Amino acid sequence: MSEQLVNAIADMREEEALKLVKEMVEGDSDPLEILDDARKAMDVVGKRYEEGTYFLPELMLAGEMLNQITDILKPKLAELPEAERLGKVVVGTVAGDIHDIGKNIVTFMLDVNGFDVLDLGVDVSPQKFVEAIGDFQPQVVGLSGFLTLAFDTMKETVDAITAAGLRDNVKIMVGGGQMDDQVKVHTGADAYGRDAMAAVKLAKDWIGG
Amino acid sequence: MEIIGEKINGTRKRVARAIAERDAGFVRDLALRQAQAGAAWLDVNAGTHPQQEPDDLVWLVENVQAEVDTPLCLDSANPQALGAAIGAVDKTPMVNSISGEPERLENILPLVAEHGCRVIALAMDATRIPETSEARVAVVHKVMAATRAAGVPDEHVYVDPLVLTIGTDTCSGLTFFETLRAVHAAYPEVHLTAGLSNISFGLPARSYINRAFLTLALGAGLDSAILDPLDKDLQATLLAAELVLGRDDYCLAYTRAYRAGVLD
Repeated sequence: MSEQLVNAIADMREEEALKLVKEMVEGDSDPLEILDDARKAMDVVGKRYEEGTYFLPELMLAGEMLNQITDILKPKLAELPEAERLGKVVVGTVAGDIHDIGKNIVTFMLDVNGFDVLDLGVDVSPQKFVEAIGDFQPQVVGLSGFLTLAFDTMKETVDAITAAGLRDNVKIMVGGGQMDDQVKVHTGADAYGRDAMAAVKLAKDWIGG
Repeated sequence: MEIIGEKINGTRKRVARAIAERDAGFVRDLALRQAQAGAAWLDVNAGTHPQQEPDDLVWLVENVQAEVDTPLCLDSANPQALGAAIGAVDKTPMVNSISGEPERLENILPLVAEHGCRVIALAMDATRIPETSEARVAVVHKVMAATRAAGVPDEHVYVDPLVLTIGTDTCSGLTFFETLRAVHAAYPEVHLTAGLSNISFGLPARSYINRAFLTLALGAGLDSAILDPLDKDLQATLLAAELVLGRDDYCLAYTRAYRAGVLD
């Protein structure tokens, strides 16, 4: 574990963080440990956001850093033996909504915690969710939405999954800006999660691990 | 500058509660205070489900009208709610809003044309919110073609070049100003408006950002805005900016405000 790396990421020192990662890769560090440092840093970032010390731009930059770190690590990760994944999750921002900063962090955190994640992106139609569930066969589906209109779209999405006969095959979690427990009830989802950490916990509780 | 008072908005928790509980006193008080603070229009947004919205919007309209003479800005994307609200108003309202989205042009523009309403026109269409000013101006051309074809005079249109939070795009202000200037050049009779407080969403100490944005937007040609008329700092900024832009003869508005204690 590199405390320096964790702090660089958590303190938004992008140049330093990426430089460190490159040095660690050249020095043959374990890429999984580097990802774990990134995970620890994201826990700190998430906490600071909740406390009101960090804001949207920090979440965006954090997401940016995670993408770049993942890119640097890709070749090393490819060399590793195929790790046993805990389970499969499909994630996406629902139709009519393009907000994705939080969703991207959820995707990263699920991935780094051992899940196989299919991120469908933003403005994802109910049909596209249904197709992805049919093809990818996840145990968990994460619906992200920020706008108040997302409540209804999430419900439509859950209804479409039900209509396709797939509802019993998956657990559905919802999350995003205006979301709360009421949304879970309105949409027919199984749970609501406040943030990426909650998403990981829900997935772990449902799938095991 | 025409102030459109933003406070009666059901997407805010406190207002949502008042609407749900039919707390007329709360709504009337908000209407009165905004009107007294100089709002030329009062935006009303029910923020509720499509099924509930017509009743809720009409209730808002009735209560605001009972309290003040200020005309209303009906804030809804739901043609049923708008139709019901237009039926309930005393004075010709403004409609918030149309855009390049086909459903809005098909279902809302006819209401606007039929009743002679002013209308806010967003510089976006069914695809994503355009990132560049060129793309936003292209949407405005489309919308203006539609409003003109429907017989809506240019002076009734309030184009909103779109305010996105600076927190997720630090060029968001620049894109706004560029779009504003281009639209004004192409359509000199059209009004230009904006939902000011969006600029600072997700950042701390929002007031400074809102004030800086308002000042710069006024300089770029903004002549109306959806804002909080009860925000004293914003009001002072508005007065000072208009003064410095040469729009306050003999500084009368500014000194009157000072004597009224507005600038304390």
